[in-house]
Amino acid sequence: MSSAGVKLALVTPAPKAQLRVLLLEDNQLDAELVLRALRKGGWDVTARVVQDEAAFTLALRTYSPEIVLADFNLPSWTGMAALDVLRSETPDIPMILVSGALGDVTAVECIKRGVTDYVLKDGLARLPEAVRRALEENHQHALRRQAEENLARKVEELARSNADLEQFAYVASHDLQEPLRMVAAYTQLLSERYVGKLDENADKFLGYASEGALRMQVLIQDLLAFSRVGRSGTPGAKVDCNAVMQDVLKTLGPAVEESGAIVTCSELPVVWGERTQIAQVLQNLIGNAIKFRGTEPPRISVQAEKEESHWLFRVADNGIGIPAESVDNIFVVFQRLHGRTEYAGNGIGLAICKKIVERYGGRIWVESQVGGGSTFKFTLPLQPPDQPEEGKP
Amino acid sequence: MKPDDIEILLVEDSQDDVELALHTLRAENLANRILVARDGAEALDFLFCTGPHAGRSFDHPPKLVLLDLKLPKVDGMQVLKQMKGDPRTQHIPVVMMTSSREERDLVASYELGVNSYLQKPVDFSEFRTMVKLLGLYWLVINQPPVADHKSAVAGQKK
Amino acid sequence: MKTGLRLFLVDDNPADVGLTREALATSPRHSAIESVADGTEAMAFLECKGKYASAERPDVVILDLSLPKKSGLSVLAAMKDAPKLRGIPVVIFSTSQLNDDVLRSYEMGASCYVSKPGNLADFFAAVKSIEEFWCDRVRLPRQGE
Repeated sequence: MSSAGVKLALVTPAPKAQLRVLLLEDNQLDAELVLRALRKGGWDVTARVVQDEAAFTLALRTYSPEIVLADFNLPSWTGMAALDVLRSETPDIPMILVSGALGDVTAVECIKRGVTDYVLKDGLARLPEAVRRALEENHQHALRRQAEENLARKVEELARSNADLEQFAYVASHDLQEPLRMVAAYTQLLSERYVGKLDENADKFLGYASEGALRMQVLIQDLLAFSRVGRSGTPGAKVDCNAVMQDVLKTLGPAVEESGAIVTCSELPVVWGERTQIAQVLQNLIGNAIKFRGTEPPRISVQAEKEESHWLFRVADNGIGIPAESVDNIFVVFQRLHGRTEYAGNGIGLAICKKIVERYGGRIWVESQVGGGSTFKFTLPLQPPDQPEEGKP
Repeated sequence: MKPDDIEILLVEDSQDDVELALHTLRAENLANRILVARDGAEALDFLFCTGPHAGRSFDHPPKLVLLDLKLPKVDGMQVLKQMKGDPRTQHIPVVMMTSSREERDLVASYELGVNSYLQKPVDFSEFRTMVKLLGLYWLVINQPPVADHKSAVAGQKK
Repeated sequence: MKTGLRLFLVDDNPADVGLTREALATSPRHSAIESVADGTEAMAFLECKGKYASAERPDVVILDLSLPKKSGLSVLAAMKDAPKLRGIPVVIFSTSQLNDDVLRSYEMGASCYVSKPGNLADFFAAVKSIEEFWCDRVRLPRQGE
């Protein structure tokens, strides 16, 4: 059969690609025409032709077609009914309706219901390309679905692994405390009881042991606090940061008094979160500002302003400042910029701040100059997660 | 001072004792948020959120109740009995502080579940020392329960 | 100052029992300290059963929560159910700081709850305070009620 005079701009698969077709068609001649059109279009076709539901369903299960071509109207069945069967049996196989004249409305309806394409029986020249496109689309869908599944699985694995780690950190720190308490208490007792009574090495050894045990206790308590950040379990609520500041200043009272610090605070917003965690962030930042002071009494200001998608908090001080190369790693657990004898502490305060802020989807960073004070900035979301925008906070 | 912030409820009708106790607790920085009830009825109103204290919630109980025995209107033993008999207030530490020397008052209080029973010394400075140690013990050494009264009710013997 | 109490210490950690005895060793009150390491022994002692037939009724019980055989809370419950033991004040002395444990202890009739401090100095101070308070300040119901 030649298509004399008609230039067909077909994109044919070359060399001949194999195609396994399930054809639902009761008219033998029409079936022939369909298969011939496919072959002409470059497909190497193997086909099974069926006429009714039983044969169709059986073929779906045993023949494993790559594509279904179906007539719209059959003596005892319809192409759309076949579509329903296809959807429930093997939804991944695309279907193209091959039919006599369909009104546009019907055609669109069919496509809405899930038919990939439709080709008119007097326009079979289009069929090979329609098949190629349907298969390609299907392939892309499958790839995307696979990628999504992979991603979901990875996310789940990561979440589980994270949960495991946090659990481990919590259990380890928690269970470590008991035996450590024993070591710390008894090395101290030994120290006190026998200092000066054994030789001088003994005094030194006992001293080191005691000191080591005590340091370990503090480290573990800090680790525990850090690992607790993710797992507190109390649901979030509206938190008035002004009230939180009052509490924080009360807690830091002795340090404020001792250093002569002046803390000023502008009107702070109501945010969503856990009160103790928000307090922890403010307390750590202000506590640091007091601790790392210069020669002058610390002057610390706490402010917040609303930006398009978040609240921006600022804690600024006139302290010793931070060298440019360290602005990132001060937020790392146990990272310290100074020796133990210069400033007390384990270096976990900022790591805790970062963990808390990031848990709420915010960011924390610092702008600072050595000798010129520091401004710590962090963001918190404007409204609680998964909630519609409220009129006022 | 919001009613929910009360740390100590001092139930005492003697003005001198009230002043001495308040002064001692504040001077030692043990507590600033102290409410004084002059009789048992006022104490019960506060603890059970009734009468003038109807707006109070059971979720913020005081950390400690210092209770005298001899009180007008409703006496200390009655207050103790009601407190320890109700799941919403049963867990609040009650320290009886009384001038009574009666052994049976002592025994009855422990039977009702008083947390501890102290005899008020006659001497002023002894009294102050006692209040100071009381405060130290019950507010610093001791851990008061942070009540979630719903779980308190649920936790009652089923 | 009054002379010492009969203290009954229920704790399965011999190290903590040792520390408690150390803390009170230098106390001028000379309290007598008996100790057992599990909840069943505790009840036997309090009820004067078996080898404890001639055990003396303690003035104050210092009770840990996590005990083998019978938990601290069940010892507490048993004590408060027994008319002869109900009047003995119980001081919970435990490493747990969980609010549930604290609340349950109070609900079941503990007089107070002291969490075992992590460092030596605070531990000693806590034990000494417990002795001082219950010995010097508190009037306790004595024998047999």
